Amino acid sequence: MTGTKTRPSRKSIVILLLLLALIAGGIFSAITGGRSDTGITQLWGVIFTPDSSLPQSVLRDIRLPRTFSAALLGVNLGLAGLALQAITRNPLASPAILGINQGAALGLTLSLIIPGLTGLSPDAMAVAGAMAAGVLTFAIAGGLRGKMDSMRLILGGVAVGAFAYAIVRFSFTLDDELARSVVRWTVGDIGYIRWPQTRWLAIWALAGLLCSFVLAQRFNLMALGQASAQGLGSDPRITLLLGTILAAALAGISVSVAGPIAFVGLVVPHIARIGFGADHRILVPATALTGAALMLLADGLSKWLSAPVETPIGVIAALIGAPWFLWLTLSTKESR
Amino acid sequence: MSLRFGITLTALTLLCILASVWSISAGAVQISTAEIINTLFNLDGPKQEYIINRSRLPRTLLALVTGGALALSGAIIQALLRNPLASPKIIGINSGAALAVLLGTLFFPDIALRWLPVIAAIGAIAVAVFIFALAELRPISPARLALVGIAVGFTCDAGVDYILVTASTYEFSAPLVWLTGSLWARGWSHLNAVWPALIALSALCLLLSFRLDLIRLGAAQATGLGMNVRLERLILLGLATLLAALSVSVVGVLGFVGLMSPHIARKLVGGVHRGMLPVAMLTGMLLVVLADATGRVILPPIEVSAGILTAIFGAPFFIFILLTSRSEDET
Amino acid sequence: MNWLLRALGATAIMAFATVTNAGEISHELGTTTVPDAPKRIVVLEFSFIDALASVGVSPVGIADDKKRDRIIPAYTDIIGTDWVSVGTRKTPSLEVIASLKPDLIIADKKRHSAAYETLSEIAPTIVLDSLAGDYHASVAQMGVIGQAIGKSAEMETRVAAHKATMADYIAKIGPKAANYSAQFGVTNAKGLWLHSPISYNGSLLKMFGFASNMKPKEGGVYEKTYVPTTLEQLSEVNPDILIFGEYVDPSHVDSWANEALYKGLAAVQYGQVFNVTAHNWSRLRGMLAAEMTAKDLLEIMSGLD
Repeated sequence: MTGTKTRPSRKSIVILLLLLALIAGGIFSAITGGRSDTGITQLWGVIFTPDSSLPQSVLRDIRLPRTFSAALLGVNLGLAGLALQAITRNPLASPAILGINQGAALGLTLSLIIPGLTGLSPDAMAVAGAMAAGVLTFAIAGGLRGKMDSMRLILGGVAVGAFAYAIVRFSFTLDDELARSVVRWTVGDIGYIRWPQTRWLAIWALAGLLCSFVLAQRFNLMALGQASAQGLGSDPRITLLLGTILAAALAGISVSVAGPIAFVGLVVPHIARIGFGADHRILVPATALTGAALMLLADGLSKWLSAPVETPIGVIAALIGAPWFLWLTLSTKESR
Repeated sequence: MSLRFGITLTALTLLCILASVWSISAGAVQISTAEIINTLFNLDGPKQEYIINRSRLPRTLLALVTGGALALSGAIIQALLRNPLASPKIIGINSGAALAVLLGTLFFPDIALRWLPVIAAIGAIAVAVFIFALAELRPISPARLALVGIAVGFTCDAGVDYILVTASTYEFSAPLVWLTGSLWARGWSHLNAVWPALIALSALCLLLSFRLDLIRLGAAQATGLGMNVRLERLILLGLATLLAALSVSVVGVLGFVGLMSPHIARKLVGGVHRGMLPVAMLTGMLLVVLADATGRVILPPIEVSAGILTAIFGAPFFIFILLTSRSEDET
Repeated sequence: MNWLLRALGATAIMAFATVTNAGEISHELGTTTVPDAPKRIVVLEFSFIDALASVGVSPVGIADDKKRDRIIPAYTDIIGTDWVSVGTRKTPSLEVIASLKPDLIIADKKRHSAAYETLSEIAPTIVLDSLAGDYHASVAQMGVIGQAIGKSAEMETRVAAHKATMADYIAKIGPKAANYSAQFGVTNAKGLWLHSPISYNGSLLKMFGFASNMKPKEGGVYEKTYVPTTLEQLSEVNPDILIFGEYVDPSHVDSWANEALYKGLAAVQYGQVFNVTAHNWSRLRGMLAAEMTAKDLLEIMSGLD
């Protein structure tokens, strides 16, 4: 096989497959749900012959925002994971290691235990918790002194996350009903999402994509090692700083809307890397596309698999993504 | 270095002894010192046979052996995979044990609830062996092995989550207690089942620890020093797996001990394994004994799982160490 | 000399009593020999309190999750408030149980099987399936507990009286109930869980003659007792009567108030959405609890025409 001819065609096949998965996943996600009278004909109807019938309003007000949100969550979490893996140069990095997911869970738990504590809503407390954990991790990593260290970032994040989640589980011991609320949320809960949350996610996904494109070249240099990056005129500390902020923002927003869907941020960048190589200028859109496709399929399956009972999307994403990830790690050649 | 090592080792040993004494004297029921001594040494006078001799004493000893074993296992795995985020979890121990316990509960509920430890050990070892088998199909770098381990672990975890969310809420009440890592209702039978093996394996690992220092130099250099690196790695990984699997089978998923103890030890005495491993073990012991005892006294009569408190104690301590040390210490 | 004789006599009588009247109780995990008329009983699940209260026996220890108000006045009126909290139902403190020197422990199969040996070291332990059982199973367990505490006859009388009371409620509620489908669910801050026909409350509603719309498509069965439910799924179940037990206020269900789909629910349109005490309906699972549930239902139904 000669590389120059086959490589583009292989990539275009991968892209084609991804786009197909994206469209199929989107349709699948939109036509499945609790009501048997709302399906593909109503989807067609909403697009071409909109009316105000109940099935169409279910599709418009409940199904579509959820479908779009699933895709946007995939984009946000995938990009957050990509940025973190690039700046830490550690393949095991994911938004979960910044302690953000667990911080959000702690914020949510606190607001449920002591509702009047801060006067904030549970969702706002989740954002506050995510930010607090992110800032703490950032401080431990030396970010406040302008001397970020990627090893400290990882270890500090794991410690902050473990601490926050230990307190969450501690509160479960005291109140079993609380455990039920929080556990439901930690496996990814997007059943309640309506258009306002979707718009919010979309704004951040767009901003995240833009920032990732801007940082792509810096991520590439980072892969060469901190010293080489320095030599090529790119200060790795600034890349580390910007990448952390980007990842924390994207993950924090996603967590606050849908709960921590931990798996996506870890696996999606790996899947994209195996399909598209190591150049971040291509990896950014590829990761976004892969994340969206995976989450759409997961959302459709989550509603369809054990209908009429819904399986949380986080569980399904892991159920499809994990064996896929395993197969990819085993079947591809080592890059070095 | 050797002075620092000696001081650290002595201090940690003393702390472990103090913590164990506290663990035996503290609990939901207040017992006078005289009664405790009467019971422990079988003297005349009022005694508390069950609480001291059959509950607190075996729990304390179990905390010591499993804490040490998990920390040692974590240190070895981090060295072999050359990844600071590695821990027994990365070779699938926790996920395998958890999946086995839940599958067992799902299909043979009457057997599984009473044989949790055995099923957990089988699951943990089976998954670890599967990962090693995949890794042995062809030469594989430590980084890739970590990825394979994560992938297998996540696949098991996905199964665990799926079972948990699709089954009835209360079906898994007992397995869930075990999954959070707890020494609740553990006694002599559990201790007797694991301590001989854990102590023998730990001793073997400590004997082999100088090999770790060679492997840590990198595979190429170690081969130059006349080692069959692949074989050595496999043996050490196997030992680490057994240590973690046996511990997990009796005390459940005590997260954080295997991951953090080696880092704490490294910050205390440096990265040379001959010195670092015993320090890591003592750190692990201290963490688990403290966590278990605190869990009994913090909100009596409520028992707080040790798996929760290891992180509540360990994390701030770890962060403190991280902040006070220079980042150049890491290799 | 006198005291010695008396002491010997007492020992002989005690030994005699244990040998002749000891009850062999078969339960979920085997057979346990329990002393005749145990005096110091520890219970590790709520429905067992109901059983003891039914025959006027007070436990010395209860796994009350360290929330004493979880034992409602209907029970404390009978059993008093002298019990010692032994911790959570999940992981009760074995130390505290041992310190109470109990002569009988009643444990739950799903929660405490793994600790059965340890509990048996402390005192004779019987294990029953309280958590996963439906209403009929919970009534059946009353007989076993009556036997274990040496009050079989009293328990039989109480169970018979309970069945009569329930039959009375069925006669009052049943004719109207036949025209309605009804659904119970509990809601907290993050979700709604419907109690399926195989759950405790589901089996109660069925006994009163209500239909259930929780019918999975294509011949499927609900294997789950508690089903997490979104608004869209609720609109598919669409029962005539909706009964919510709210653990918090405002609950997840309250957040749906302004949605068209919620307003379109049959129960909402006809004003047939009711709130009941979640703890009494969902956690207690005993005879007294069933009678309270029946009373709530009668109240609900007498408001409808």
